[in-house]
Amino acid sequence: MSPVALVFVYGTFTALATGLGALPFMFVRRVSPRGLASANAIASGLMLGACFGLIVEGTEYGSWQTIVGLNVGVLFILLTQRLLSQHQVKFGPLQEAGGRRMILMMVVMTVHSFAEGVAVGASFGGGMSLAVLVTAAIAVHNIPEGLAISAVLRSRGVSVPACAAWSIFSSLPQPLLAVPAFLFVAAFTPSLPVGLGFAAGAMIWMSFAELIPEALEDAPNRAVATAVTASLLAMIGFQWFLRG
Amino acid sequence: MRVHVPGSGRLNPTLTVLLYSSIAAAAAAFGVIPFAIRDRVPLAWIGWANALAAGLMLGAVYGIAEAGLETRLLVAAGGALLGLGFIYATHRISRTSDLDLNRLEESGPEYGYQVLLVQWLHAASEGVAIGVAMSIRLDLGIFTALALAVHNVPEAAVLCAVLRARGIRLRDAAGLAVVMNVSQVLFALALFAVISAAPVILPWTVGFVMGALVYLVMSELLPESYNQSGHTSIALLTSVAMGMVVLIKGFLL
Repeated sequence: MSPVALVFVYGTFTALATGLGALPFMFVRRVSPRGLASANAIASGLMLGACFGLIVEGTEYGSWQTIVGLNVGVLFILLTQRLLSQHQVKFGPLQEAGGRRMILMMVVMTVHSFAEGVAVGASFGGGMSLAVLVTAAIAVHNIPEGLAISAVLRSRGVSVPACAAWSIFSSLPQPLLAVPAFLFVAAFTPSLPVGLGFAAGAMIWMSFAELIPEALEDAPNRAVATAVTASLLAMIGFQWFLRG
Repeated sequence: MRVHVPGSGRLNPTLTVLLYSSIAAAAAAFGVIPFAIRDRVPLAWIGWANALAAGLMLGAVYGIAEAGLETRLLVAAGGALLGLGFIYATHRISRTSDLDLNRLEESGPEYGYQVLLVQWLHAASEGVAIGVAMSIRLDLGIFTALALAVHNVPEAAVLCAVLRARGIRLRDAAGLAVVMNVSQVLFALALFAVISAAPVILPWTVGFVMGALVYLVMSELLPESYNQSGHTSIALLTSVAMGMVVLIKGFLL
């Protein structure tokens, strides 16, 4: 297999892993408001944990670029939010507030996949073993992301296969971006910290502006706090484990 | 890049812990500043102060997690469960699980005691964090203490809002805010001493700090602030404060 095809296959593999996140919902029939609140809290904990990793990795490439990326990420989401609130929004069976949140979530997840795609592609420049490690890390990390997307979609009446499809869709930028990133590592590397910061900013924003307040509406403080704390710590621990 | 940390070379380690945890506690006095400037502080400011405190705290937790999580991940996870359970239990026992810490119009004596008790326990957890961070590395400890010192300012501002609403003088409010944070100094010193005597427990305490502090942020600091200031500004302040602490730590240590 030519190197370019190999990079593409690896990128596709990480994208498909996201779809695995929909699997648990084959066994769970209905999600109550309380269950949705927990899912939101868990998703925000996982995202916050992932952000810490992204910021740390970004500062290793360049601190100022990461700060710039972080702020651009927050601004981008803020503007998307404003834009969405001005238009009638439908997302499958979802309308209005639910649909808006879902689109925002899809936008955040998809946009942050760009950075992950660049990471996969760029890692091939550092040798095969590094590439395998990074690909595996991103693939595994994608599963809870798919879980987060599916949790929100499923609880609002989207079918399980559609949940899986949307999850994979959110990761499609990974194979698409991995190839050019591999071919033009030199050109892409300087933008990497900006991309990582961007993703972190967008996800932190998503957690604090949407997921946590939404969770607090439907569940008591202590339940939300427990879920966020546990999933945030699990994510930090998991990243630590992957880095060896 | 390693900066020279004042006190890390010449000062006795225990005195370093005492000095910096005292600075953190004393910083609470600055919480009265908004009340000195303006007679009536808008409710939104209190939400913002909470959000700022939450972000700074999350950044500090990450600093400890990053430096302190060694190979003993399972032990740390156990410690985190303990920390989470500890705060949960103290909330439960003191009947403050869903206590709203910013009810300005409420003036019953029982509510006043509850707020002070929660504040004291909260500061104690921060003291544990300082002690643990100091035991990992002195410069990390100093960084954590200073981050928590900044965190104490908006936190004390929230406390002062409650105290001022009860007609307590500015000077007394500042004093009370500092006194409530003295538990920080005590617990920082105690943890530092215990860990240097028995280093085995360090991974447990690192986990404990992570579990306890994240839980405090999510259960005490954030919930009310959303109602006071709106989602957007809270998210903005929290994320910026958190990102800044993580970045500054990346620069310095």
